[in-house]
Amino acid sequence: MTKLLVVDDEPRTAELTAALLRRAGYAVEIAVSGTEALASVRSSSPDLMLLDYEMPDMEAPEVLDSLRSGADRIAFPVIILTGARHAASDQVLGIERGATDYIVKGTDRQVLLARVRGALRDRAPETRLIASGRLRIDMASGEAWLGERPLKLERRPQLMLQLLAGRPGEVVGREELLERVWGTKYTGFEHSVEQAAHQIRRALKEPGWIETVRGLGYRFVAQP
Amino acid sequence: MDSATGSSPSPELAAALHRLRSTLARVKAELELAESDEAESLPGRLLGDLNEALVLLQEVEQAAFGVVPVLVVDDDTRLGELTARGLRRLGYDADSTTALRDLRHKEIVVFDLGLAHGLDQSARTALKAARPIVVTGATDAASRALAASLDASDYLVKPVELDDLAKAITRRIEEG
Repeated sequence: MTKLLVVDDEPRTAELTAALLRRAGYAVEIAVSGTEALASVRSSSPDLMLLDYEMPDMEAPEVLDSLRSGADRIAFPVIILTGARHAASDQVLGIERGATDYIVKGTDRQVLLARVRGALRDRAPETRLIASGRLRIDMASGEAWLGERPLKLERRPQLMLQLLAGRPGEVVGREELLERVWGTKYTGFEHSVEQAAHQIRRALKEPGWIETVRGLGYRFVAQP
Repeated sequence: MDSATGSSPSPELAAALHRLRSTLARVKAELELAESDEAESLPGRLLGDLNEALVLLQEVEQAAFGVVPVLVVDDDTRLGELTARGLRRLGYDADSTTALRDLRHKEIVVFDLGLAHGLDQSARTALKAARPIVVTGATDAASRALAASLDASDYLVKPVELDDLAKAITRRIEEG
């Protein structure tokens, strides 16, 4: 079950947000301060955090900095909840390693749920570095390494690997790959997807990472 | 890029608005929970009142802080959400839908031209009045004519870079 962490210094607000999310089928934990949030992240590694911007002990940028810097860079989506419409946004907060999204308190729960779903679905592009076993991918540049060996990939296989590795274990369909990597909705390019998958496998020199799911698409399978 | 939000508000005003919004939001969440427990019609009426209050509060925030509301209309849900999220990160109060909805006060519309044919007369009139920023996959003369018929303020070809869209929004704001 997808685990969410709700952080708000007003316990009643945290409880209510948690209750709405639990009804939507998420497992939800609560933290009532920035310090508690960081402790909870370490002990239970959530899939997404909803973070109140205005907290007395630590404001959101501080919490984000702690999460996103340091040796064990933690890279999951963070949605900032704010009571102040003008205070939202990376630009105003001036934080480089920004939040995934912003929600103003009082937004309809359907919108809240849609943004949580969206942030979970697109979590890969927000992450700077994906590490899976010995494979590391810099999501900003697309460069990838297996152990210390850089992988030589053309642009599209590189994008395809990023997309697949960002959603490990999930089958990504040919149509989606075509649309997001090749920028086309048209069929007739399926062989390009196959060729790109072939190039990724050849660059990795190891079987197993990229699995073909017949008739559907491809899946990234983490290897030791 | 210019800031999407206006000058700094007075700290007292900002603090009061924080508290007001937090409290309104909490009441609304309580009612939403009660409503989904299928209680009497009272929650429904109170929710209506609260939503109205929150819309008013939003107009206060817009006036006080220069927050710009933006609606991204795209039939590709994912693309619409990604665009709106990017705009939120730049400081816009952005929302996305797959079909035109009632517009908020002074809302700027980013409209996927592919949806133009599905508009009924009243939606078309509302869209024209908003002078939308039109986004399209095609650059042919017919598309340009269609955009012009919607009184588009700008015409962007997909894939649209967020920076270019932000610039188009700034231009649209400056036009008034």
